[in-house]
Amino acid sequence: MLVLWAVATVTFFAVRLIPGDPAEAILGGPGSQTSPEALAAVRAEYGLDQPVLLQYLSQLGRLATGDLGRSYALNMDVGPLVFSQLGGTLILALLALTVAWLIALLLATWSTGRGRLARQIGSGLEIVAAALPHFWLATTLIVVFSVWWGVLPPISTMDARGLVLPVITLAIPLAGFLGQVMRESLTIALESPFVLSARARGESDRGVLWRHALRHAALPAISLSGWAFGSLISGAVVVETIFARPGLGRTLLNAVTVRDVPVVVGVVMIVALAYILMTVLTDLASRLTDPRPIRTPTGADA
Amino acid sequence: MPRQGTVRFAPRPVTLALVAATAAVGLVLTGCTSASPGGDASTPASGGTLTYASGDAEPTCLDPHVGGNYPQALVASQFLESLVSLNADGDVIPWLADSWTVSPDGLSWEFTLRDGVSFTDGTPLDAAAVQANVAHLQDPATGSSTGYLALAKVTGTEAVSDSVVRLTLAEPDSALLESLSQPWLAIQSPTALERSQDENCAAPVGTGPFIVDSWVKQNAITLVRNDDYTSPPQDAAHEGAAYLESIVWRFIPDSASRYAALQAGEVDVIDNAQPDTISQAESSESIVHLDAPRPGASNRIELNSGKAPFNDAAVREAFIRSANVDDAVTALFQGSAERSYSALSSVEPLGTSRPDLFDYDPDAAADLLDAAGWSETDADGYRVKDGVRLTVVFPVSTNQSIPAEQSLFEQIQATAKETGFDVQLSRLDLASWYTALGSNDYDAVSAPYTKVGPDVLRILFDSAGIVPAPSGYFANHAQLNDPELDALLAQANATNDADTRAALYADAQDIVLEGFYILPLYDQQNHFLLSSAVEGARALPTVSTPTFYDTWLNR
Repeated sequence: MLVLWAVATVTFFAVRLIPGDPAEAILGGPGSQTSPEALAAVRAEYGLDQPVLLQYLSQLGRLATGDLGRSYALNMDVGPLVFSQLGGTLILALLALTVAWLIALLLATWSTGRGRLARQIGSGLEIVAAALPHFWLATTLIVVFSVWWGVLPPISTMDARGLVLPVITLAIPLAGFLGQVMRESLTIALESPFVLSARARGESDRGVLWRHALRHAALPAISLSGWAFGSLISGAVVVETIFARPGLGRTLLNAVTVRDVPVVVGVVMIVALAYILMTVLTDLASRLTDPRPIRTPTGADA
Repeated sequence: MPRQGTVRFAPRPVTLALVAATAAVGLVLTGCTSASPGGDASTPASGGTLTYASGDAEPTCLDPHVGGNYPQALVASQFLESLVSLNADGDVIPWLADSWTVSPDGLSWEFTLRDGVSFTDGTPLDAAAVQANVAHLQDPATGSSTGYLALAKVTGTEAVSDSVVRLTLAEPDSALLESLSQPWLAIQSPTALERSQDENCAAPVGTGPFIVDSWVKQNAITLVRNDDYTSPPQDAAHEGAAYLESIVWRFIPDSASRYAALQAGEVDVIDNAQPDTISQAESSESIVHLDAPRPGASNRIELNSGKAPFNDAAVREAFIRSANVDDAVTALFQGSAERSYSALSSVEPLGTSRPDLFDYDPDAAADLLDAAGWSETDADGYRVKDGVRLTVVFPVSTNQSIPAEQSLFEQIQATAKETGFDVQLSRLDLASWYTALGSNDYDAVSAPYTKVGPDVLRILFDSAGIVPAPSGYFANHAQLNDPELDALLAQANATNDADTRAALYADAQDIVLEGFYILPLYDQQNHFLLSSAVEGARALPTVSTPTFYDTWLNR
């Protein structure tokens, strides 16, 4: 709750403190001239004529009752708007996370225990991948797969084909991060005594890797996934804009441009909620994966 | 009354060709078939879905009475129609109104409506419908800005008969027909207007060739054919229902993705084509370019004459002379934009072009600054007067200025620096930009303004436009305050004599141009790229929005 309150407060004041009049944005837009009467009407309708502190309190009051308010610019309630856009972004983020995990796993397992050259190639690929900016990757993928080869659509479509390029765009840099963490802990795990004892029991190389070492190696990457999910949502702002996908990222970008405070706060609240949920899930996943016995702080066996 | 050195559009062959060319874009696509019936061997085929991809922001309301901006006009042109339209020569032609008369004092206009036209909800088009639309536009609750302003002089409406409606004006308004031709004043079903604003915003009901079927926000608007369509404008290529079965209207904000989607065949038409994609498309067999400059004002840099340093005409002229616009436009727009020397768009028949006033001449600029007291130079090479640096604060709206235009401003910044101007460009989003203008925190600014007809001059340069609305917004960014100009613009707006009107607007433009209040750049760019399978598309000569009524798919 405290986190959500802090998120709502910081977002509200951040959007209101940057210069710009939402009323003008509600009515105006390029090339139109707003009449004073229309402006006054809009101000009164949205409560923009009241002091900022009062606006903040009334917004907070609404949020407390679960009402996300009404968008200044889109003529609709924020709740239904955000939830209608949530699905697209969630699918995008979860698929990207999955694909990133697959790429990272493949790269880490391939490049570990195969000598220095393999390790250096793996590490090099990961560093390059992690450093690639989303907008560059998206544009390059569009040029290669849509314009040159014509195999994938450059924009979102009704079917799954339109998801491929956005997911890859988001997955590649993330795979770089995850892969780096994973390979490092994998290397450490493979040199641990329990691996030696597993080998002594006659476990094959593959068995050691998949059954024993990987569980250790995956731990830091799992905890990183909570953070990664947050970064995927922010990456969605870029990716959804470039691939013209409906989603929270694009909604957020449009809302910030026109100072649509209720939508900005609503989107950020939902993202914060998703982030909290994801952190809880990754904690849970860590516990399940961690082969070491779990002890609660009181010292009793769990 | 042409003065020495004044060049008007008509007498100058090059400009005449330009006018003809731009006027003709209403009808002709470069390298494609014309829209005239029977002009091509292939016959139009019915059916199919056209996908349109817009780079503009998605409208928040599809009813162009509400607010009133260009993205709304683009899509509304497919399903709403106006009382009158313009032909390619810029003459007013009948549309939903068959004919009209104006009383000798110019205060009473009677429009006779076309017979047998119904809105797509079955409501008949009659005098009462037009009355309801005027009332809707003038109702503050509607929140109309563009349409509200255009009807400012209309004080009353009356149904003379079922098919004749009378508008009563407080003062004569020579711009009334031009105003009424705009999509922002399109006629909607009075039955539909009685719904709540939310409902009407989601699916306005008109008489047009298409009907709003669904609108999934942030995704697409789906328009379907109006099979009972009977009211094409006089200059349309065919009669009856449209050929296309439906139109899917999408929003793809990123310019490169939009073009890639067109190349990949995912979409058939894109708007807001950027100079780099236009030059690529020009060499492509499968893509056709439609250049449809918007009417109203040209794109120009307005110099704030309301405060120092640009309250001195010599400093304004020095700035204009110090800016190398031509070379930058050629380089950055790759031939897609023609330099303008006019306050008005080249599609405006009454525009005055004055190339003589806008030469790049840094030596003359330096002399002007010397004479104006800015003779000292500081360590960084900028001019100084009384210890104050010659600074030009220039807020740029990243929503309204395309990347090529932003680069052009940087070029202007660089060339003006050679003469000693410290041009401070700041890129701002729309809301911050409005705030900068409202707080008078600018010396130069570039803002587009689309309106049919030369009356746009009154909006942009009448001293009344300096007084900010409560929001701080105002249209006279040059803060031009000249009683003589105000009088000329008021007379031009009040006269119904075409020749007098033309002469008055010519004089008014001379005051604006010779006073160096603006630096004209080019027409308001409005480029569309179409798949070559799209036949018979054209831009309406009113506000240059494309219409797909005559369009069919050849694939």
